[in-house]
Amino acid sequence: MTFSISDSGLNALVDEVIASGTTVIAPALVKLSAGERREYQKIGSAQKMALTGAIVSNSLKPFIMPPSVPLFRYTRAKAAVSLEPATGKAQAAVVIGAQACDIAALEIVDRVMDWDYHDEVWFERRKATTVISLACTQADASCFCTAVGSGPDHPRGSDIQLLRKKGGYLARALTESGKAFCSKYGSHFEKAGDDADRDPLIKETREKVETNLKIDLGAIRSFLTRNFEHELWNDFGLRCHGCGACAFACPTCHCFDIVDEPEGITHGVRRRNWDTCQTAKFTVHASGHNPRKDQNSRIRQRVMHKFQIYPERFGDVLCTGCGRCVRVCAGGMNLLEILKVLDKSAEAKS
Amino acid sequence: MRELKNLAKRLLEEGTVKVVIGYEEGPVGVRPVFVTRPADAEKLVFNSRCVQNLAAYLSRRRGHIARLGKSAIVVKGCDARAVAGLIRESQLKREDVVVIGMRCGGVALRPSDEGPLTPETVADRCSGCESREPKLADHLLGELPPAPPKATRMFELMAQIERMPVAERFRFWAEQFERCMRCNACREVCPMCFCERCIQDKSQPQWIETSPHARGNLSWHFTHAMHLAGRCSSCDECQRACPAGLPLGLLNRKMAEIVRNRFEYQVSDDSTVPSPIGAFKQQDPQEFIK
Ligand code: SF4
Ligand code: SF4
Ligand code: SF4
Ligand code: SF4
Ligand code: SF4
Repeated sequence: MTFSISDSGLNALVDEVIASGTTVIAPALVKLSAGERREYQKIGSAQKMALTGAIVSNSLKPFIMPPSVPLFRYTRAKAAVSLEPATGKAQAAVVIGAQACDIAALEIVDRVMDWDYHDEVWFERRKATTVISLACTQADASCFCTAVGSGPDHPRGSDIQLLRKKGGYLARALTESGKAFCSKYGSHFEKAGDDADRDPLIKETREKVETNLKIDLGAIRSFLTRNFEHELWNDFGLRCHGCGACAFACPTCHCFDIVDEPEGITHGVRRRNWDTCQTAKFTVHASGHNPRKDQNSRIRQRVMHKFQIYPERFGDVLCTGCGRCVRVCAGGMNLLEILKVLDKSAEAKS
Repeated sequence: MRELKNLAKRLLEEGTVKVVIGYEEGPVGVRPVFVTRPADAEKLVFNSRCVQNLAAYLSRRRGHIARLGKSAIVVKGCDARAVAGLIRESQLKREDVVVIGMRCGGVALRPSDEGPLTPETVADRCSGCESREPKLADHLLGELPPAPPKATRMFELMAQIERMPVAERFRFWAEQFERCMRCNACREVCPMCFCERCIQDKSQPQWIETSPHARGNLSWHFTHAMHLAGRCSSCDECQRACPAGLPLGLLNRKMAEIVRNRFEYQVSDDSTVPSPIGAFKQQDPQEFIK
């Protein structure tokens, strides 16, 4: 079902959704002393939206899986311990203007969160969130979504997909919840837009990303399966600081740590916080022994998890090619370069 | 630059060092490189995009670099302060590293910033830099370029914060800290954060909560700033590495100013001068002991 919506129509729609009490998350401009950037934020008015500009610096991950979530509160009275849920129900939310790489990530992480157990924290927010994506027109040199099965205009994970056209957007309602949203706010949409109207920049963006990286994911996966001990791992991590910024910025990294925080002698909170395999602490044993003894082995883990372990289990890869790990890295690590090396090694071996 | 490549090549050929830690042109901007073969010395570059403070790679926590063998390191004047810091604090023996000092005309904010330096693009620490010619160097290379342009934004912001009433200042920092996700990138990239086990990683007892909430973030940033007072080399790598964009340089500069005023000490690349935290002087101000 394709509709179209004008620029002013979209603004009115967003303001109406906000007025109805639903949380709206959209890219907005933030001014920091480190410079200006676009960030997904909870916005208070359509005026705040910044739907174009540089790649959004954070991902949607914090909104579905916050960096720290209280799981429950505990109180001790003598030998008895009582527990109570720490958070209320997830609020209904609408994400507007999300990039393809960020919404694809939600579906990719869904699988992990519904694999050996059903992760309530994740799915509670996930189900309460309607996702309206916007075909991307701002790829940079670190983007490679097209090399990992996605693309600037890939709809994966969208309830509704917006595509820029003159004076407004084409709106494709792709899921039941997307269709329901379009009929609920029907007054802002006009009927059937013409797909031929879409901004040619969308296609150009796809072509640009395609030149950034071309790899054979299947060959890489099978190379990785057979080459855990390959010598190329010996120096992959030299410039890596093990700082974890890549994993925190990544929309698909999802590891967490569980901590108990006393708030008094008898009571406290159990929380779930983001964690990352890039730090030494992640694998250190109580004895002091660390099976991943250095940064080379930690980088190997990151690459293995994304391009071999996850694919083995779920089919595609644990990466959407958003390029954030490259953009944030203080050490100049570059996943595109690593994938090129792996692709070449895989080719040479077969 | 020929000079640098030739020197690195010679050091590796002679076997004086096993690795030269320097800069190369990466896929997006200049980045660290670890040259172990004489032929690869050709990769080395030095220019205004050599932003990184490579001294972090000398810290003991970098076992995978240490294993390569004795190293030579390319440093700017500001980086030399961090190398000296490691020597001063017994993390490194002077004779265990060959220091290749570069005369410096300033660097950009980011390693991918092309073009001539302007007040907008120059790194904050370069304004009025007095160490463009590192003294801690076994080899000093290049001609001294003209002084970099002056960036004023950091000083303006500092002055602005100083004018704030305490409550407003607290609000400013609370808002900044609220963005922190506790990835610890600020700690991991810091050459002077070399503790094998950071106080933040201690869990029995837990001194600092690891959760990114107001309490945990305040105690972490407070502790980090205090632990770096009089030790921080002002490289601003923590600020550059922070994915959330926290202005950590402001805290470090303020601490440096306090240490300068209270202890007449300024972090330099002379490792023989003890830092206030590592020395006791009878005349140290102590009017707070009552
Ligand atoms: S790859 Fe970069 S961002 Fe990731 S841990 Fe290493 S230094 Fe940090
Ligand atoms: S690994 Fe890098 S490119 Fe892939 S999803 Fe994560 S941040 Fe994006
Ligand atoms: S602070 Fe000084 S030595 Fe360091 S990069 Fe700037 S000008 Fe060069
Ligand atoms: S690098 Fe930034 S986000 Fe990460 S812990 Fe430090 S201040 Fe927080
Ligand atoms: S605290 Fe920041 S500015 Fe100071 S030495 Fe560490 S990384 Fe450099």
